[in-house]
Amino acid sequence: MKKILIPIVIFYFLVLAQTSFLVHFSILGVVPNISLILAVFWNFIEKTKNYFGLYNAFLVGFFLDVFSQRFFGFYILGLLAMAIFLKFIIRKYVQIPFVEKN
Amino acid sequence: MKFLANKKKIITFVFGLLLIVFLLNVFQKEVRGFFYWFSSPIQKVLWRIGDKSAGFFKSIVSADNLKKENSELKQKNQKLLAEIVKLKELEKENNILREALGAGLQKEFNLILTEIISKDVSQDYILIDKGFKEGILENKPVINQENVLVGRISDVYNNFSKVILISNKKVSFDTKIYAEGKPAESEQEEDISGLASGQGGSKISFGFVPREKNLTQGDIVITSVLGGIFPKGLLVGTIGKIEKSDLEPFQEAEIQPFFDIKSSTFLFIVSDF
Repeated sequence: MKKILIPIVIFYFLVLAQTSFLVHFSILGVVPNISLILAVFWNFIEKTKNYFGLYNAFLVGFFLDVFSQRFFGFYILGLLAMAIFLKFIIRKYVQIPFVEKN
Repeated sequence: MKFLANKKKIITFVFGLLLIVFLLNVFQKEVRGFFYWFSSPIQKVLWRIGDKSAGFFKSIVSADNLKKENSELKQKNQKLLAEIVKLKELEKENNILREALGAGLQKEFNLILTEIISKDVSQDYILIDKGFKEGILENKPVINQENVLVGRISDVYNNFSKVILISNKKVSFDTKIYAEGKPAESEQEEDISGLASGQGGSKISFGFVPREKNLTQGDIVITSVLGGIFPKGLLVGTIGKIEKSDLEPFQEAEIQPFFDIKSSTFLFIVSDF
């Protein structure tokens, strides 16, 4: 239960900070999307047999969709597709020393 | 057998996901409204902290330029004071003439004060803390305290509204160059009108300006009465880089917008104009 609730709280506050706090700090006009980077990074370093990264991608996508003007699903589907694609590529073609494949 | 079981799981996952996305889109007003209501107190605090800390860091970074900026501002201030005096005189004269002609004074805007809650992560939209319950309607203009045009209401929720900024790609409106104080070479050059179009990322372009019009960097762009979406005379920005070609019938320019969402906390909705 903890494993399910903690990411909800973390990503919710990260997206809030992204939309209300970090927008004031742009680097060359661009505000880095911390929650999105975290979701990608998680899927990158996670063991390919684990699917917790997909859950995280869904959560980040959901909260980004809530606080954006785009249709619901833009970030959810986009991030999930990215997470699945990343897992597929790492499983098939990439050998990263610090990431266990199975 | 294992492959079939996996296939079944994948199909269930995809269908479940699509169903969730579909339902979220059907009930998007309710879902978003709930989250905005639930999050707005935290977001207001975060926005204020961000605004203050960004201002603090900016002042540290730009400390070297402060002296130069200060003297420039002093000069500008003196110029503006002179203009105020001139305008006050004109206002007096105007009032006397209105009284003499029996015409009423120009109606002021009806304004509703609102606070920014958040900004869309990828597009030029902001969320404000006034909605349907406060009588906010779609397409109402949003300005700041300096009469600078910020955008218009695009979506209204019970307690919140989304504002599409004038820099959004979906926004275009009629504007003109503020002619007061600009020396006109001929009678025709007094009025330079053009179409302001949002380019995304806080950028606005000024297009459909005939090539022969004398457009110069630093000219002030204001809203014109032609479009009817926004009240006339609201400040938009200053002319930046101008692109002019002998082959094109029109010239185009960048508008450097006056509004800066990052350094604003309160805005006004023009409910009547």
